[in-house]
Amino acid sequence: MSYIVPIGPYHPALEEPIHAKLYTEGEVIKDAEVFVGYNHRGIEKLATERNAIQTLVLVERVCGICSHSHAFTYAMCVENINGVEVPKRGQYIRVITAELERLHSHFLWLGIACHIIGHDSMFMHIWDERELVMDLLEKMTGNRVNYAMITIGGARRDIDDDLRRELLSACQKLKGPLDRIAEIALTDKTIAMRTKGVGVLTREDAIRMGAVGPHARASGVAIDVRKDAPYSSYEDFDFKVHTVDSGDVFARVLVRVLECYESIKIIRQALENLPEGPINLGNKLPKIKEGQAVCRHEAPRGQLSHMVVGDGGFNNHRVSVHVPSYKNTPTIPHMLRGNTVADAGLIIASIDPCFSCLDR
Amino acid sequence: MQEYKRIDISKDQVVPVAERMRREGRYLVMIHGFINNDGQMDVSYDYAVDPAIESYHVVGETVLPSIGAIYDTAATWPERELNELFAVEFEGLDTSKRLFLPEDMLETQGKGQIMVMPLSELVEKNLGGDGK
Repeated sequence: MSYIVPIGPYHPALEEPIHAKLYTEGEVIKDAEVFVGYNHRGIEKLATERNAIQTLVLVERVCGICSHSHAFTYAMCVENINGVEVPKRGQYIRVITAELERLHSHFLWLGIACHIIGHDSMFMHIWDERELVMDLLEKMTGNRVNYAMITIGGARRDIDDDLRRELLSACQKLKGPLDRIAEIALTDKTIAMRTKGVGVLTREDAIRMGAVGPHARASGVAIDVRKDAPYSSYEDFDFKVHTVDSGDVFARVLVRVLECYESIKIIRQALENLPEGPINLGNKLPKIKEGQAVCRHEAPRGQLSHMVVGDGGFNNHRVSVHVPSYKNTPTIPHMLRGNTVADAGLIIASIDPCFSCLDR
Repeated sequence: MQEYKRIDISKDQVVPVAERMRREGRYLVMIHGFINNDGQMDVSYDYAVDPAIESYHVVGETVLPSIGAIYDTAATWPERELNELFAVEFEGLDTSKRLFLPEDMLETQGKGQIMVMPLSELVEKNLGGDGK
């Protein structure tokens, strides 16, 4: 018997709005389509009527999870156009915030994945441990969501010696909970049965469709902007880009768990070697010189790129924001085919989609 | 600082460049568009030639060949977005379904209005003169 099963745009298994149409034979998905655009806020249009500092505030609100990533990438574009070099200490502080953001994002995703799987005790446990990261972000930036750590030419807040010591000790404390989460996530029978062999994206398909971030790395594609086109001193840090070949939901769990360890490693190195000096170049409102730049940042969900065009005035001529979910969402129909309707919610969630980011 | 190289090409070179990039295993970062200061459409194809971005620009064209057959959805989604926002036509691209903009907006305002029209005029057109 053939059915068309609609999911969303508003659905209990989805944290954000997307509409999927599943074409099924009985319980098996034969084909699928996804429809986006339920969260389109015209942010790129608004950016054309704002100056660089106002735009930092605006782009931080593209997404509530990777807010720092947007401000970071936009600032890099303006700095590139203006030919400005960020002081080394400012670069390190940007990296520390970015990696804390990655940690909280991966913990959040792992929790949601466990919730969809039906392992709610694990979901609550992971989110409880995530609070440690959120507390650190709050202590460091004053905020839990939009950190406002970026200004054009550097970082807005410094890390003093007390905070540095506290952050270092927190990195040590985080390792224990992460070991426990890793052990359960990678050995629990329920998680394995719901994720192994489910929602497979092969390496060839990931490359063909341009998948990015942990989603691509879980299909064996070693792509990571932090290594491929280092920025903000990422070349100073020793860390690995983890890949797994199986391309299923389990691989996406595994890659994200391993990346949490790497983020802690980067934060520790940055804190231990935090350079002396200024954190930014001052607070003067910059003009955006005539020119164009595209910059990339490895956000928690993958490669994020911003394009900024300046015309010599204070306002942007054009800002274009392209997020990891832009590349990963089109892979969803491909992954759904051949799986059952019961796994659809988990497969959609497995790319760690952000439709606020995608729609802008 | 990440390097950004601008290279201007003609419309006829869009497909050969995409084919060469695909052969070399380059990643299509994005296809962007904007109206430049001369009022001309500027469409750029940004490829990751790590660690740099090579950005191939086609200026003054509003009909371009689609590179969807070469880069799949990594190309067709940005092409569909540019079609909605700037009314750029991509030959061979299926635009029968909306991507980001609401259907009623596309029906009543037409494609290409949102990024071209000043915000104040856009608000007036959508909400009436008082913006309510």
